[in-house]
Amino acid sequence: MSFDPIPYDTFSAFIHFLSVFGSAMLLALIVCLIVGVITRGTKGITDVFMAIGDFFVQIFHLSCRRIWSLSVLTIRESLRQKILFVFIIFAVLFMFAGWFLSGAADRPDLQIQSYIDFVLKAISWLVIPIMLLLACWSLPEDIRLRTIHTVVTKPTYRIEIVMGRMLGFTLLGSVILLVMGTVGYIWINRQVPESAQYQLVSKVPVYGKIAFTDREGAPTTAGINVGDVWMYRSYIEGATKARAIYTFEGIDPGDAIDDKLVLQSSFEAFRTHKGNMEKGGILYQFIFVNEDKNLRVPTRPLVNKEYSENVLEVNRKIKDDDAEGGEGVELDIFDDLVDKDGNLTVEVQCLEAGQLLGMARPDLFVRTPDRAFVVGYSKAVLGIWMPMVLVIMLGVTISCFVKGPVAILTTLTVVMVGFMSKEYMNEILSGKMEAAGAIEAWYRLITHMNSQTELPAGPVKVIIETVDAGIINFLWLCQQVIPNFGIFSNMREYVIKGFDVSWSAALLPGIATTAAYILPCLIVSFYSLKLRELEAK
Amino acid sequence: MDNESVIQISNLTKIYRDFWGRKKVRALNSLSLEVKKGEIFGLLGPNGSGKTTTLKLLLGLLFPSEGDIKVLGQPASNVEKNERIGYLPEESYLYRFLNAEETLDFYGRLFKMSAKERRERSAELIEKVGLGHAKRRQLKEYSKGMTRRIGLAQALINNPDLVMLDEPTSGLDPLGTDDMKRMIVELKEQGKTVLMCSHLLADVQDVCDRIAILYGGELKVMGRVDDLLKEQEETQILTSKLSDEAINEIKQVVAKHNGTVDTVDHPTATLESLFLKTVQESKERPGQRFVPETEKNKTAE
Repeated sequence: MSFDPIPYDTFSAFIHFLSVFGSAMLLALIVCLIVGVITRGTKGITDVFMAIGDFFVQIFHLSCRRIWSLSVLTIRESLRQKILFVFIIFAVLFMFAGWFLSGAADRPDLQIQSYIDFVLKAISWLVIPIMLLLACWSLPEDIRLRTIHTVVTKPTYRIEIVMGRMLGFTLLGSVILLVMGTVGYIWINRQVPESAQYQLVSKVPVYGKIAFTDREGAPTTAGINVGDVWMYRSYIEGATKARAIYTFEGIDPGDAIDDKLVLQSSFEAFRTHKGNMEKGGILYQFIFVNEDKNLRVPTRPLVNKEYSENVLEVNRKIKDDDAEGGEGVELDIFDDLVDKDGNLTVEVQCLEAGQLLGMARPDLFVRTPDRAFVVGYSKAVLGIWMPMVLVIMLGVTISCFVKGPVAILTTLTVVMVGFMSKEYMNEILSGKMEAAGAIEAWYRLITHMNSQTELPAGPVKVIIETVDAGIINFLWLCQQVIPNFGIFSNMREYVIKGFDVSWSAALLPGIATTAAYILPCLIVSFYSLKLRELEAK
Repeated sequence: MDNESVIQISNLTKIYRDFWGRKKVRALNSLSLEVKKGEIFGLLGPNGSGKTTTLKLLLGLLFPSEGDIKVLGQPASNVEKNERIGYLPEESYLYRFLNAEETLDFYGRLFKMSAKERRERSAELIEKVGLGHAKRRQLKEYSKGMTRRIGLAQALINNPDLVMLDEPTSGLDPLGTDDMKRMIVELKEQGKTVLMCSHLLADVQDVCDRIAILYGGELKVMGRVDDLLKEQEETQILTSKLSDEAINEIKQVVAKHNGTVDTVDHPTATLESLFLKTVQESKERPGQRFVPETEKNKTAE
């Protein structure tokens, strides 16, 4: 897996949310007060605070009955607009998909991956765009056709109209997703042959922390850089004291499968010479280390098969001179090799001179008892549901202040940037990626100036740097405001690769991201509708 | 009629502005008026005089540029006041994918009405506006007249104290117009206050107690319909048919009192009453041609 499932830091995320949300609210308040004073004098200040109070009044007087009624209207409207035709497209896709996907790979594990990938992508690519269109179109149409007049002239708060729309589309999308998800699940099960059904599971990995030692055995922050542009893995040199040290926290007997500790690895080899190809891979070894008891128990030499899963099942009871049973003192992995803090330390050593073994944190994990495939699959469907809800919230919110086509384009832009460019923006803003400003780059292109050459001092340089700073600030604002949709596609990757979706590394950030936009969307939509004359053309 | 004010408008001005805040048009200029409880008040004026703008300001659909509005004692922006208001827009802006029953049920849910109340009220109103035969048809299949009828029904779903009707008879045939006027009068009889906008003067004259005439966003005339229309310098006596001899005698009596008889003629019915009578007769005696009274008299002579 190319992603690194790092546990989500909820507290830091919450503090970050509060700081961004609080700053935005404060800025909005200051701007409103200034505009209020300019346009209405001191009465403007009172009006601004009354408008703030009005939000809370409406929130505390919300009527579930009215919201539900507006949701039902939304669902009915969508159904009568023939929204369910989407199932026909879905059915057609599934009727013929088997022809094109079967035999795509000889290996059943890859075949299963392509089935799951197809099902989850088909569902998300059908459901999310349709819900985006509906969410962006409904309120502007209501305003254009003035049907909203007969609703707002009833005792209905405008925020209830927004919430009713959001809830209605969410319920409708949820039902569509549920049906498609169920059909997709049945389809996958039917496509996978009986002989490969055992691979249809949700593996539950326990990832550890990784550290390195160099060829002399001294601790180091990373292994060797072999010149790979992709800096994901770090390499250890064979037949030296170089090690990758994995520390797995909280390991206990409950993590054993059939009373065995299962280690699964997917290291990458870097060869400086061809070596013995008949072995099928480079030799390496695990060493279980417990500093508390001064124990170092090596496994037998293992062959690293690249591009496939290397699974090592270690008996719970092992001899200290042979991890898979031999003569010596018998040790219990969980009682003797797990230290007093519950950590299991595993060193990885490459055994072949002149060869290197590359690894990243997720390349070795303790595989705990598998869960049923349906568990991981359901979470992946939940990983489609959450961005769908987010898209609905954004679509309805944006459609409160612009017309339908503009709302669609704006929401689509936000979603695309959130899916594709969020990491790119993060890298530019965090300084990981060195890049000249947009205007500076443009200036260098026009003037054929080398990127290493300093810009000539003078007003042109000042102007370019000032404008670029403004653009970077705008980029920062976008980075803070636009949701990271990439989080949700990670969930799909877990299931495609046969893993259960991690709660702390995937589900929680998804839930937190979705939840973080509820209040801001409600506030923006409330004031957009409140300050808008619904009759104005 | 009660003296309690249901609507109070003072110095109401509405200026429409463009995106940049520049003035586009002054739709209302310092309008002040009051509507009392239990009366039918008509807002008259040519197109663009500010009638609909006034109504929308009262409903909070537009925001006033200057001036104050009180509806049922509360500001126009107050949502709670809508519990007691019914509104029929100029075009019946309803959800065309719903049928009549669903429409009334949906609007009923927006009020504090139980399912039973909604069901009973919907059935009652559907019958009242004469849509019993089409209650399961989607509104997109309705004619304009039917849409106006269901529009009125949705305005009355909450049994409101104040009913605002924007061009209530527009798009209705004479029968529909007559029904609508009858229903408006019934509302008044039930103690409700009605504010209606129209440029169909005959309709307003038939049902309104008081009227205000707007022109160019300004109030030009306001008062009771009877008072405004009464010709103080002339007297009209309506009798049964008289002979020429009797008419001459009357002329002499009038002359004796220094008066003049300007016209002596048979009064004419309105085209509307002729139409209504024709339809009524046709219903009662299908297949027979309707003969008006004037034709009958000629034949008799």
